[in-house]
Amino acid sequence: MSRFKDVQDKLLVSLNERAKELKCLYEVETILNQADKDLVQVFEEVVKAIEPGWQYPEICRAEIEYGDKTIRSGDFEPTPWLLEAEIKAHGNILGNLHVYYCEERPQEDHGPFLDEEVRLIKSLAGRLGNFLLFQQLRKMEESWQAIEDKESAPTNEGWRMAVKMVMGTDQRLYLQISRKMLNHLCSIGVESAQIMLQEVDQLENSEDVLGEVNVAGPRQDQDLGLLRSLVPFELAAEHLGSEEIILRVQEWIQEDRASFLIKALSDPRSSLSQVADVVRRSRHVLPDGADLAPTTTRSLHVNLCEHFLNDQLNFIRIAKDYVKLDHFFTLLDRIIIPQDSHGKLGGKGAGLLLAKWILESNSGEGSGVGEFKVPQTWYLVSDGILKFIHYNDLEDVHIQKFREIDDIRNGYPNIIQLFKNSTFPPDIVHGLSSALDDFGEIPLIVRSSSLLEDRLGTAFSGKYKSLFLPNQGSKQERLDALLDAIAEIYASVFGPDPLEYRRERGLLEFHEEMGILIQEVVGRKVGKYFLPSFAGVAFSRNEFRWSPRIERDDGLIRLVPGLGTRAVDRIADDYPALAVPGKPNLRVNVALDEVVKYAPKALDLINLESSTFETRDLKELMKECGGQYPGVENVFSVFDQDMLRKPVKLMLDPESDHLVGTFAGLFDDTPFVNQVGSILKVLEDKLGSPVDVEFAHDGQDFYLLQCRPQSYNEDELPAPIPKDVAEEKIIFSANRYVSNGWLPDVTHLVYVDPERYANLATKEELQGVGRAVSKLNKVLPKRQFILMGPGRWGSRGDLKLGVSITYADINNTSMLVEIAKQSGNYVPDLSFGTHFFQDLVEARIRYLPLYPDEEDVLFNTRFLLGSDNLLSEMVPEYAHLEDVVRVIDVASVSEGRVLRVLMNADLDEAVGILSDPEQSSMPDKQVADTSGFEPKQFWQWRLRMVEKVASKLDAEKFGVVALYLFGSVKNATSGPASDIDLLVHFRGEDCQRMALEEWLEGWGLCLSEMNYLRTGYRTDNLLDVHLVTDEDIENRTSFAVKIGAVTDAARHIPTGP
Amino acid sequence: MSGNSAFNPFEMARAQFDKSADLIGLDEGTRDFLRTPMREYQFSIPVRMDDGSTKVFAGFRVQHNDSRGPCKGGIRFHPQETIDTVRALSMWMTWKCAVADIPLGGGKGGVVCDPHNLSAREQESICRGWIRQLARDIGPTIDVPAPDVMTNAQHMLWMLDEYEAIQGGHYPGVITGKPVGMGGSLGRTQATGYGVIYTLREALKELEIRPSDTTASVQGFGNVSQYAIELYKQLGGTVVCVSSWDQEEMTTYAFKKKDGVDLDELRGITDNFGGIDKAKAKDLGYEVLPGDDWLIQDVDILIPSALENQITGENVESISKGVKIVAEGANGPTTPEADAVFHQRGVFCIPDFLANAGGVTCSYFEQVQSNMNYFWDMEEVLGKLDMKMTSAYMAVSGLAKKQDLYMRDAAYVVAINRVATACKNRGWV
Repeated sequence: MSRFKDVQDKLLVSLNERAKELKCLYEVETILNQADKDLVQVFEEVVKAIEPGWQYPEICRAEIEYGDKTIRSGDFEPTPWLLEAEIKAHGNILGNLHVYYCEERPQEDHGPFLDEEVRLIKSLAGRLGNFLLFQQLRKMEESWQAIEDKESAPTNEGWRMAVKMVMGTDQRLYLQISRKMLNHLCSIGVESAQIMLQEVDQLENSEDVLGEVNVAGPRQDQDLGLLRSLVPFELAAEHLGSEEIILRVQEWIQEDRASFLIKALSDPRSSLSQVADVVRRSRHVLPDGADLAPTTTRSLHVNLCEHFLNDQLNFIRIAKDYVKLDHFFTLLDRIIIPQDSHGKLGGKGAGLLLAKWILESNSGEGSGVGEFKVPQTWYLVSDGILKFIHYNDLEDVHIQKFREIDDIRNGYPNIIQLFKNSTFPPDIVHGLSSALDDFGEIPLIVRSSSLLEDRLGTAFSGKYKSLFLPNQGSKQERLDALLDAIAEIYASVFGPDPLEYRRERGLLEFHEEMGILIQEVVGRKVGKYFLPSFAGVAFSRNEFRWSPRIERDDGLIRLVPGLGTRAVDRIADDYPALAVPGKPNLRVNVALDEVVKYAPKALDLINLESSTFETRDLKELMKECGGQYPGVENVFSVFDQDMLRKPVKLMLDPESDHLVGTFAGLFDDTPFVNQVGSILKVLEDKLGSPVDVEFAHDGQDFYLLQCRPQSYNEDELPAPIPKDVAEEKIIFSANRYVSNGWLPDVTHLVYVDPERYANLATKEELQGVGRAVSKLNKVLPKRQFILMGPGRWGSRGDLKLGVSITYADINNTSMLVEIAKQSGNYVPDLSFGTHFFQDLVEARIRYLPLYPDEEDVLFNTRFLLGSDNLLSEMVPEYAHLEDVVRVIDVASVSEGRVLRVLMNADLDEAVGILSDPEQSSMPDKQVADTSGFEPKQFWQWRLRMVEKVASKLDAEKFGVVALYLFGSVKNATSGPASDIDLLVHFRGEDCQRMALEEWLEGWGLCLSEMNYLRTGYRTDNLLDVHLVTDEDIENRTSFAVKIGAVTDAARHIPTGP
Repeated sequence: MSGNSAFNPFEMARAQFDKSADLIGLDEGTRDFLRTPMREYQFSIPVRMDDGSTKVFAGFRVQHNDSRGPCKGGIRFHPQETIDTVRALSMWMTWKCAVADIPLGGGKGGVVCDPHNLSAREQESICRGWIRQLARDIGPTIDVPAPDVMTNAQHMLWMLDEYEAIQGGHYPGVITGKPVGMGGSLGRTQATGYGVIYTLREALKELEIRPSDTTASVQGFGNVSQYAIELYKQLGGTVVCVSSWDQEEMTTYAFKKKDGVDLDELRGITDNFGGIDKAKAKDLGYEVLPGDDWLIQDVDILIPSALENQITGENVESISKGVKIVAEGANGPTTPEADAVFHQRGVFCIPDFLANAGGVTCSYFEQVQSNMNYFWDMEEVLGKLDMKMTSAYMAVSGLAKKQDLYMRDAAYVVAINRVATACKNRGWV
């Protein structure tokens, strides 16, 4: 009990002490705030107030030494029981604070003094230092004011006051500016300044030498005296106006104040938290971008870029003009920086910030950029992943990238699990927890922002994960979900696809780190769902022009209702809305049925109840909660009796109204399209390259979500156009309305001759051409043939304008070519594929218009009309159209060559040439930056495997007469997911047949697994086996036609060892 | 192949006419008169484009024959429209109105343009420019345009507005295809599909078959099909199979239910353009077959109401021997080779321009209602439609029976004879 009391007493004593200290601080503060009193008077009060703050106030005395004055609390003699602290301002010692005990007292932490008392005296001294500095500044201000008030006084003396003030308050600073003034005078050619500077420098140099023998002291004083004097400024006054001197001095003072910032920022070894600290500090020291010299500011900005954004030179070159120190004051509050971090925000983070700053500085009236927002974002810097790995001892994963791709693929699921079951370092968890508090319970998207992503020059888009988080529930649940998502994104760095991609690009050695962007999802709550009004992606270059009036730099917007995922990706069974900012009034769909057919049918959203990301049928959703849909009047039209009308919100009846996502309100009644156009223009202009941006709209505000150099799919890159090709190898060339792309391996060509088509006599014949094409579309190898024909493919109404087909009749072609051949003195208009334009876009079918009568283009009529025609053999029922429809097997008429179509929109040129299949399809990888997609590796491996399987096949046992190969493996055009088409000539019993099928199935499954490990593509069974009998071969039914076929015949594979 | 023998739609229309004129034994003068349109207008429409430039578009209107009443026909916005196409189409309109026995003549018009290259404002300028050129030569009592390829109700309203501004009054009867409430008629969506079944009902009566004893297979599941099925079921018939387009797979499928398809059930799983959801249909107990299988069902009646050229020489033989009637809901679903097989087999064919004349009849009703500025309710529209279609059918089948003509030929003969008679009675020829 007594022991408890003892403890209690001690606690009471120590609490009393703290109270005394606080009281003391408070008292002193109050005294110092009476700033208008005389300095000595203030100090007298202060020393008195200090005494009660100590443990033994009755024997405590305090003393302030300031200049030549000493102010004491009462009369006393110094004793050995002393605590002291320097009073400093700007690093200059202005005086001392002393506290004495007059008598001896028991030993404590520091003599008779407590730890707390040491801290107290330091705080007091610090406060006194600030007080003195403030006093000095005030005096300066007053005298300055006095000069300014005396307007009649000769203004050229104004500098003297300013300079003297510096001299009087900060010696070190004065030395600095005085030297800078001499430097400046030298630089403008003042000779006496040069002499002075030489003197100072020589002396300083000789000091260094002398310094080693330790005799430099007195001379140094004497000669720096020149710098300490007013001489340099008096000299300056002879050459410069007073105003300029003052300006310079002010600049140099600011520079000096910023020196801590410059020092920390310019040191690449500074950790990010150090940098963040100095930036935070500078907020108070350098308010609103204080007047630093432009060169200093620039170097600051460059350093900020290097530390936070991106150290690529071409990025910095652009970014430095837009980065501002004060951007970071608020930004820093939302950056999670682990200890000793040297990470960055990563590609996406940097890209978005730069775009935002560029737009903000160009959003003046007339620019059209208008109002825009960026969603609230938190950043976890890129080396967070390294800290995470280190914290969990997972360093082994770093060797992952050097493994074979199948090992990587095999190991990847384990890595995901491993990462998900690891813990995050506490500082990261803490940061993320603050982020969640800041966001509240709103859905989030966690985006990867790696160093490789979105760098200028690499298209690394979509390789890493981005995850939606509904972010609902208790704080712990939300935090767990967030950590889980980040772990998954971290794991994706070691995923097979990004690693494979990096290997192909030679980026494997690049030190990849993964920043994380945590962004609020733009949207509104609609019932139990959360979704934006609409979202999408906009490109500053238009690669999909449906009208000759649209130019390439008119741009393109793809947008969808709900989350933007469906606009970013191509979705086979749905269509985004398209708009062209440069031609805002042109619509891709004009006829009513087109408009409705190509309107979006589904949308992506977040279900808050089930906490899932969902795709919903648009019609059903609108029935469920149409009235609440954000911005419903901008997104939808009501289809009503042969007309689409914009809805009046009040009259809307989502139950019975047939709503179509036309975006008519948005396009016609809001500045949206023009705004996006302006944004693209400004960004392309300032970033110096085409861009694409992602955006979303919540019904009220427009949000910019992402900005990066325009990404192209690999088959949409501008193909280099070879110049040294022999004319006879060129089948056609074009120089108008060319878009980007390349078709590497066209094996067949279907050519409908324009003149002969026009001369067909009957409707039946004209329609027959369409039907023949439709049939060919089904039998020719998919995506390996092109269709060339007159005028408007798919023309409705007038058969003579073009071959009458629908999209389904041509959906397997790789390219649609429209030929505008002059007849009489007019050249027909082409359709640009408008009748099924959106189908072509989503299916990546290329379109090319040809104008064979123009100069400088080639049109190889000899090849097209002179080569063997396979029509009658392939579709005998249309043999009568042989003159008009020509099917050319490219390889068989050109000694095994393929047709390669190269299109380059930058040059507005395209060419179709006969090439050797082995020759690299993209001669100059640097120019095109194509992927490493090498079909070779896929078909060669498959062929090897087939030969292996065949060698193991006991033909007699299974009743196999012969084995054939056809399709993509035979044609050397396999992709990673292609199956192997085998044709087995079978002559045996049912039991043999079953045994054979079983045997082959085993192989097929095995090959599937191997292929998956190599490529990541899952297939059910890699072997697609077709059994044909003698009867089939005789009747030429089914696949038997492939054996000894006129074109694309199956290849015989020997069986047995 | 010489240039002269190249396919020309107008020549083809004339050939069809000549064949029927021979049957009738039409005199040379009348023949010459009907082989050529009475009036043709060709003009230029200057349009100030969005970019400030001016572009000139070529406009047409062909009035083939107005002996039976004001001309009637659509306006097409079509690139590289040729005058011969427009001539041919206007002639077909004359026969179509005549066979439906509505007091109208045939016309057609258009503008050479591709709306894909034009903004809405530019299209409006073209519409208004077209009317400005023709305001004196069309009108409720002269020539009444309607929507056609690439034009819709919106274009009609712009044109109406321009016409009324020029004439200084309200003339809703100058144009058809307007929305309900703006001078349009109720019943337009139903008209064609119901029309097909009105003629089918009459055909069954003649063949002395009870509708409730019949089964049918329908190609397509768009507007025409859906309303045809609706009415056919009301008569007691059973549709066992319908085919529809699958947008995702770029092919057609046929949906079969032996006891008859349930229209409402199917409508519930159909998109706006008649695509039936395959998976859901399976769940509902439908047999999902290849698209062409609609044709080979063992039914009494085939109703092709999707596209042209669906029943061809190649597939006509696969049609069940039990098929008694083909009612052509679509335009030209049967090729001449297939038609010959029907003829020879004795399949009763209700030809397209009679079977699907419900559409043009309803346009005529819109005109009538517009002219008196009083609009009927749905029942009245459909009641009058039934009457018109029935009597049109009776006239054709009556002639077919009497003269032992194939129905298609009889329809042409009836139509051309009506027009020729009107011209003669007026003393023109």
